[in-house]
Amino acid sequence: MSSETKTLERYQLPSAVKERLDELRELSKRAEGGDMQARQELKRTLHRSGPEVIARASDIGRKAQHMLIETAAGGDPLTEYALSGRLDMMREEVAGENPSPLEVLLVERVVACWLLVELFEALMAPQLWTGTGKGRSIPLGLLKHYLSWQEGANRRYLAAIRELARVRKLQSSTPGIQVNNNTRINVSGGSGKGEPRWAPNKEE
Amino acid sequence: MAWEERKRGGSYYTRSRKANGRVTREYIGGGLAGKMAAEADRRERERRAAEALEAKQEREKVEALVAPVVELGEATDIVVRAHLVAAGYRRYQGKWRRARREQRNQDA
Repeated sequence: MSSETKTLERYQLPSAVKERLDELRELSKRAEGGDMQARQELKRTLHRSGPEVIARASDIGRKAQHMLIETAAGGDPLTEYALSGRLDMMREEVAGENPSPLEVLLVERVVACWLLVELFEALMAPQLWTGTGKGRSIPLGLLKHYLSWQEGANRRYLAAIRELARVRKLQSSTPGIQVNNNTRINVSGGSGKGEPRWAPNKEE
Repeated sequence: MAWEERKRGGSYYTRSRKANGRVTREYIGGGLAGKMAAEADRRERERRAAEALEAKQEREKVEALVAPVVELGEATDIVVRAHLVAAGYRRYQGKWRRARREQRNQDA
């Protein structure tokens, strides 16, 4: 196996996790269609393998961020360090107190998407800068690719924020999708008012 | 772009171009003019090939950067959807809504 293949594999989910994701996708689809048995199976699967899937996906998110930081820094250790610190701050700020593993995953996505947007901004800026006329120009075809990637990155970033906000909103009104630190899904109800959104389940 | 042999002997250099959907051939000539044009064309071809290779490598590099973020996004979507569905939500006209039965259970 070449080193390049190995490097790429570091940034991919393991095949066992991909299988679990396929299983979750299939069960969700069936449960959404009204299959009660599928819904029960979905709950069991989430309880059994949810924590690992979330942890692995979050891990991939961190690795992706690291790769983006390295690229954005361009070998400058100070920039790398500063970006890394900026991401830590952002992660903490967005996640808030006592984030659930599901929220952590969503935050990792927001942070990774933000970094991607910033990276494309940095890559595109010299191409669009005409001030000195000394900027390195790239072929038009590649510029179109860059614009399309930049647009995609922006779209993903906004979608990630929207998804985090949506889950928070639903969780605040419905303890049914609360996932506590032990990733137990609480489906038994609760007042939903006056309780901290991410309070750990006191039964455990 | 090629050297063509004349029936009466000698060779001349030609360029083919596509303009307005039609291919037209430009006759450059033989001798030094032909050689210079051939050399200029060869350099231009090499420059374009190098540019295409650079663009390809750049595309691959950027795609490798984007891929893990895309994968993370897909995995997150699946996990979030699974949690919402397991909690009794259903998507209705693009929005997540709680099924009435679940709402009643919670209210009770």
